[in-house]
Amino acid sequence: MDTSQLLKGVLDLAVLAVLRKDDGYGYDVVRRLRAGGLNDVGDASVYGTLRRLYNAGMLTSYVVPSEEGPHRKYYSINETGRGRLAESAEMWRSFASTLDGLLEEVAA
Amino acid sequence: MNTQELGIEHYLAELRVALDDLPPNEVAEIMEDVRAHVAELSAELGPGETLEQRLGPAERYARELRQAAGYPPRTERLPVTTKRQWLTRPRAAAWGLAGATGITLLAGTVALRDPAVLLLPAVILVLSLALVHDRGPVQQDVRHLPETVRLKKWLTPEQGTPAERTITYLRTLQPAWWLVRAALLGLGAVLLASRNLLGFLAIAAVAVVSVYAGPRAKLDRRWLWFSLPASALAVGVLFQVIDMTATQLGYTPERSSYSGPVMQQYENIYVYDENGKMLTNVLLYDQDGEPINAPRYYSRCAANAGPEPVIPANRYPRPQIEYQNGVCYTVAPSVSAPSTSSAAEPSGSAPPSSGSEPSSPVPPTSVSPSK
Repeated sequence: MDTSQLLKGVLDLAVLAVLRKDDGYGYDVVRRLRAGGLNDVGDASVYGTLRRLYNAGMLTSYVVPSEEGPHRKYYSINETGRGRLAESAEMWRSFASTLDGLLEEVAA
Repeated sequence: MNTQELGIEHYLAELRVALDDLPPNEVAEIMEDVRAHVAELSAELGPGETLEQRLGPAERYARELRQAAGYPPRTERLPVTTKRQWLTRPRAAAWGLAGATGITLLAGTVALRDPAVLLLPAVILVLSLALVHDRGPVQQDVRHLPETVRLKKWLTPEQGTPAERTITYLRTLQPAWWLVRAALLGLGAVLLASRNLLGFLAIAAVAVVSVYAGPRAKLDRRWLWFSLPASALAVGVLFQVIDMTATQLGYTPERSSYSGPVMQQYENIYVYDENGKMLTNVLLYDQDGEPINAPRYYSRCAANAGPEPVIPANRYPRPQIEYQNGVCYTVAPSVSAPSTSSAAEPSGSAPPSSGSEPSSPVPPTSVSPSK
């Protein structure tokens, strides 16, 4: 099964999760996701997700001037975002455990 | 701008096109993110590796981004409805740009004589840009005008044809043209500097800004309202410089070979009265009282340094010079001399009686060896 199909549904959650502790700019978020094990995550998908979460009011952004190259736009999670993260995390856990249960039955 | 930076700009431009149906604010935000991303990525690229290899084609990147961001799929903006309203703002702006560029090309050929003519295209440009300036850097309304689409189609021939290769090649020369354009405009400004300070400042400013406008117009199409006429002006200045140079080259040989009106050469003058009698010892003066001296050549008498005339140089007829045994003699004028020598005869009719024997000439000096 193609993990990119699975990713689509949970990329919001993953992005919110990596922004939970530290703010980050786009490529920074991509790197954290990959470092966390999501090797197949596409650059454009992450950028799109950041824009969607921002437009949905779950992230705020600020620009940090860079000495070499263009300015970097950092995204940080706000209260709405944290609320959504907690909610989605709960949903994911119950979904994952349901699926685990189904898989155990298959294995048994 | 090196090839890597050009690669980035190219990728970003393609991406921008693929997103140009989205709200301009949103596109600007996305481009801000992606620009930083692409810049950072390209710094990590190995030698020979391209952005496309790393990120996939810009179009796919845009599709993936749209999907993740929840934007609608790419919709082709329909051309502005032409039936209901023919003269839309984008159309007026596009034709204003085209017209002003044409006028600038014509005006550019006389701009060095009278830079004020450039005010006309400048006003047209400002007005036409004002019509569409608020529509963002992509100018999709202008892009989708039927005439623009047709022009673009004409400028992008089928892949692999000689025309396509030529246009692709010319595109690679564009950055060079931006420099040449600035140089031409600078030259025009310098040529104006001594005569028209305002014109000098205006064209010099255009020259400086044009360097920035060239690459900028790739990202923000509104700069075309500056960049295209600047090119036209540069071409106009080039024509004018060629014209000036050609005129100068055409005149120079003429001037250098100029030697004044050609005059009949003569070295003696015979004067006759109305009865056909030759007058002797006549002194001739011009209107300023200067003696009229026919040029006289003693070249054959070089051996003896030439006999000095023993009579006033403007007394006519002059004694003739006879050459004998290496010595020059001055001899009294003879009547036969003028009648036999057609060159000395004034238009053939002045001596009325060439047949009748004029009285024997009175020699101004006796025949005497000059030395």
